[in-house]
Amino acid sequence: MSLNRIVLIILIIFVLEGALMPWLIPSSFGDRIIPHFTFVMVIFASLYGSRHQALALGMGFGLLQDIMYYGHVMGAHFFFMGLIGYLIGILLERKKATLMLAISVIGFASIGFDSVLYFINKVFKLTTGSYPWALIQYILPSLFLQLVFALLFYVPVRKMFESRKQFHSSDSAEEM
Amino acid sequence: MLMIGFLIFIVMIGLSIGGRQSLTWPEKFVKDAIGGIQQMIYRPAGAVAGFFQDMKNLNTIYEENEQLRMLAAQYARDKVEYNFVKNENKRLQDELDFASHQKEMYDYTYMIAQVISVSNDANNRTININVGSRQGVEKDMAVVTVDGLVGLVKAVTPFTASVTPYTELNSLSTAFNAISATVLNKETESFGILTDYDAELERIMMTKIGEGDPMKEGDTVITSGFGNIYPRGLQIGTIETLKVGEVGLTYEATIDPFVDLNQLTEVFVVKIPQINEDEELTP
Repeated sequence: MSLNRIVLIILIIFVLEGALMPWLIPSSFGDRIIPHFTFVMVIFASLYGSRHQALALGMGFGLLQDIMYYGHVMGAHFFFMGLIGYLIGILLERKKATLMLAISVIGFASIGFDSVLYFINKVFKLTTGSYPWALIQYILPSLFLQLVFALLFYVPVRKMFESRKQFHSSDSAEEM
Repeated sequence: MLMIGFLIFIVMIGLSIGGRQSLTWPEKFVKDAIGGIQQMIYRPAGAVAGFFQDMKNLNTIYEENEQLRMLAAQYARDKVEYNFVKNENKRLQDELDFASHQKEMYDYTYMIAQVISVSNDANNRTININVGSRQGVEKDMAVVTVDGLVGLVKAVTPFTASVTPYTELNSLSTAFNAISATVLNKETESFGILTDYDAELERIMMTKIGEGDPMKEGDTVITSGFGNIYPRGLQIGTIETLKVGEVGLTYEATIDPFVDLNQLTEVFVVKIPQINEDEELTP
């Protein structure tokens, strides 16, 4: 699968995340369960694609997020989506990621991402509320949503990134 | 690569944190393009969800109808009263030689808008709507629903606008201006400023309330319109608690907002009439 297709699929996920997800989440949990599906896709890219791919996708879609929902500061999603994807890519580069490993990595990465965003906003005094409150209020509830998403789409997404890798490596082999 | 990213990150935060007046054209283009697609999804999804909501509400519809009938009767009585007062007011304004911009100061127009997407960031809950600078929306315009105040317009592109909801009220940052407020039926005596939103309590904080202020718990808070930046008379919420503030000289209140920000569909952008500068200078 070419990179264009992958980008298109993540773009569709990004659009649905903002436009469809608010209707699927019960309204009383609207500010507690927050989808970060594009971020999960970036982590998938770092697990089954390459770290550079994850960095590029993370920065690209982070920037898109920053522009679309321009509120206080720009750049937080841009930098940290790319950075976390890249770091996980380095950590697990030589390891073949199984389902359990992938899900746990996605879980920890989601907590890390939400926490980092919280602290960025805290540093600039853009958010009120203590960290333990934020953890209970939205970081942990939305973690479950991310895990369910990752579990549901694990097989097709893994195939998508791995076929891209094979496509890529066979391509370069032919060139040689 | 990572280093360049970090540098861009610092530069972007530095440039955007002070609050900019307008967006650059690449931002506008991206926002309009994605916003156009999201609009096609959010509304049908909302219509489907609304259908199931209606099914659920079918049993309560009789009671609601009864209430609405009473409200309509009350409205008809008030309308007669209102027409008399309005004509009287107009006559007095004519006699006192009001300038035309003074007369039109409170002629707000309500522009209907559809929500197209909602931010997935808990620290920055932005709502995008499908009207933009082409329709005359400007930065800092108030956005309301039929229930009350939602927030203020933060950024405008030709076809969309980003609304910062009241949850981002924060006296420590430059992101959101404080809003002056008063209490329904005590408009001339009460005054307070909406400065913060307490995320843990999920309540708006109103501070700088004078000691002899007649407001009490359960009153409806509305915008006062002082300063003529934000329109007056927009409902915000009810006062839940009222106590002496931190400094001890003024009171502060927590306000339970009327509007639930989840699953919004239709909102109104409140346009305040433009003050003609030339006319103001020549008496």
